[in-house]
Amino acid sequence: MKKFEELTIGDTLGPLDLIVTKEQCRTYAKVSGFGDVAGRFTDDEAAKKEGLPGIILPGNMSLGLLSKLVTDWIGVSDARLVRMGTTYRVPVQPDHKLVLNGFLTNTNPTDRTAEIDVWMENEEGERLVTGTATVEFPK
Amino acid sequence: MVDYDPAIINKVFENTDPVEVKAEKIARFCASLGETNPLFTDPDAAKKGPYGGIVAPPSFAVTFRNGRHFFEHIPRFGRRGFDAGKDVEFVAPIRAGDKISLHSHVKEIYEKTGRTGTMVFVVIRSTLKNQKDEVVAHIDHRFMNRP
Repeated sequence: MKKFEELTIGDTLGPLDLIVTKEQCRTYAKVSGFGDVAGRFTDDEAAKKEGLPGIILPGNMSLGLLSKLVTDWIGVSDARLVRMGTTYRVPVQPDHKLVLNGFLTNTNPTDRTAEIDVWMENEEGERLVTGTATVEFPK
Repeated sequence: MVDYDPAIINKVFENTDPVEVKAEKIARFCASLGETNPLFTDPDAAKKGPYGGIVAPPSFAVTFRNGRHFFEHIPRFGRRGFDAGKDVEFVAPIRAGDKISLHSHVKEIYEKTGRTGTMVFVVIRSTLKNQKDEVVAHIDHRFMNRP
């Protein structure tokens, strides 16, 4: 179990290599109610009509994957992800290698929280999505 | 400075009908993200964990949709805005059986000048509440416009 006292600024999360399949992308879009309104998440042809190379991941799905990077790091514990902020910089494609990263930037002993920078890169090291997360540890 | 009627700030323009969270939907959500954490996927293991049963992964909060009033109430500046990002505060876990409603307002409007020119950001805050009227999450949607 992850303990607040054992954290060190500079601790890393990942790097985690990942390929999201088109099927996962479609499932996510459908669960989120995007399936019938935005073809760009479910249908290659509809995406191409919008000038995209093919299906892209919903921005929320990238937020979900980066949240998962943090909750995997927390593991089975009563520490909790309490905040996640993301900026969508470049469209994210399924069937392409993605790399998820995290870096612990600060700890606050008063409220027992940790601040983490998170980001998603493509194979070329380009940052597609960036974000920050806050994890709260039990008092 | 960007010009808008300050009366639109903080005025709630959307209250959606509650949507019941189905266990099956949490499971499909987990599958789409490749989720393996037993707190979110394994009823027996989750029972022994801090929440006493399965909860949805925190980011499940962003799957709730605003209603038809949402987009028509987002102030526009110049060309069509696009989704620049989100800030989510996860206040309390969401469980199967919860009934979640969304309450949305314009939180702030600000201008920023970057290397590509002037941008106007509109932040819409959606607050998620459960059937006990407890806040479970705040979602700030950041929309970017080019005037």
